[in-house]
Amino acid sequence: MRHALEAAYVLHARPYRETSLLLEVLTAGLGRVGMVARGARRPRASVRGLLQPFQPLLLGWSGRGELRTLRAAEPAGPPWRLAGRALVGALHLNGLACTALAREDPHPEVFAAYDAALRGLARPGAEVDGVLRRFELALLGALGYGPVLTRDVHGAPVRADGVYGYDPEHGPVPASAAHGGLRLRGATLLALARGEALPEAARPEARALLRMLLARHFGARQRRVREVLETMARPLAGRTAETPHGTAT
Amino acid sequence: MPTGFSTLVDGLIEALRVLPGVGPRSAQRMAFHLLERDREGARRLAQALLAAAEGVGRCRECRTLTEDERCALCATPGRDRSQLCVVETPADVAAVEQATGYRGLYFVLGGHLSPLDGIGPAELGLDQLEARLAAGEVREVILATNPTVEGETTAQYIAELARAHGVLPTRIAHGVPVGGELEHVDVGTLSHAFAGRREI
Repeated sequence: MRHALEAAYVLHARPYRETSLLLEVLTAGLGRVGMVARGARRPRASVRGLLQPFQPLLLGWSGRGELRTLRAAEPAGPPWRLAGRALVGALHLNGLACTALAREDPHPEVFAAYDAALRGLARPGAEVDGVLRRFELALLGALGYGPVLTRDVHGAPVRADGVYGYDPEHGPVPASAAHGGLRLRGATLLALARGEALPEAARPEARALLRMLLARHFGARQRRVREVLETMARPLAGRTAETPHGTAT
Repeated sequence: MPTGFSTLVDGLIEALRVLPGVGPRSAQRMAFHLLERDREGARRLAQALLAAAEGVGRCRECRTLTEDERCALCATPGRDRSQLCVVETPADVAAVEQATGYRGLYFVLGGHLSPLDGIGPAELGLDQLEARLAAGEVREVILATNPTVEGETTAQYIAELARAHGVLPTRIAHGVPVGGELEHVDVGTLSHAFAGRREI
């Protein structure tokens, strides 16, 4: 089966056999796809510089089943330039897409959210936390795990000036009834629901909420990727001045 | 694909397949060549393999492969100890040595940061590198990791470590290959080369 060229991003590449690459690719039409790029590691292979993460691509492939064979690769634009926290954040997107999405389970809206997130991270002075939270919520939503953010467990609308705990099954719990654990401002929940930029004070609690939800649904592998990213984020956090003590995941 | 007549020969064929790019066919060809045409070479190979596999460890200073506590490069008296070139593999040390007149020292990571493979700073010996940067002897750390996203991430990470210890981080330039033509250079390389242009 042959496909026309399709919009795609390489999420991860590892050496395969002597001169080939094994790629995890995110495509618009087919979701996450495993692909072999034969000969891509030969010294003169023309696709060498192209098959990198964060490079918008048009790919063509053949075959069926677990591993497709890459047949054609063209750039769909210049690579997104990322540094510091934005780079760690972008690696976090790749970690999530690789661990949360099943192979060949198409979610065009996840591809669109991924593309938008990279665009957001590449912008100078990017608000990294907001971009990452928007992608995480889009991913959870696409997979049917979209969290309740605007109504509490009793069905009452979340109040911006309220304080809430969070029950991963049922949503925000008014703080008087919640015991210990996560504490979230109503305003933070509402900003997340609307996909708005997060004020600095709201970032840690938003991060904690999404971390809990992602760990719950995507489990151990996602957690290990996150641990590595967090150790990496420590020195790199200094590169953009906006949240000197935050981590980019 | 067993020969059907010898367990020892089959064992050799199977063992040769650990080499990269060697499948059953080429393993069989190598085995027959060694046994039929070059027994002496086979013995030398066996001895060299055993000696290296038993004896070679990592250099205490630069983590490259060596049987000594310090590798020959680190032990050379005339080398400039204020420059430290960070590379991903021992093969990269050889490449830089052969291509440049570099007279400083090296640090071999043995890979690059790769969160999806679970490889973080600890797996690359970056605590050891940091201790070295903190010791004060190094003034410039030359980041010669590969121009891939992971290599770039690794370089940025080490650059921050260096800055924190008052060491100047520099990155090798990447751009259009010598003798190349712009038209045929991939977008990633060209965009890097363009962004990294400098006054002549």
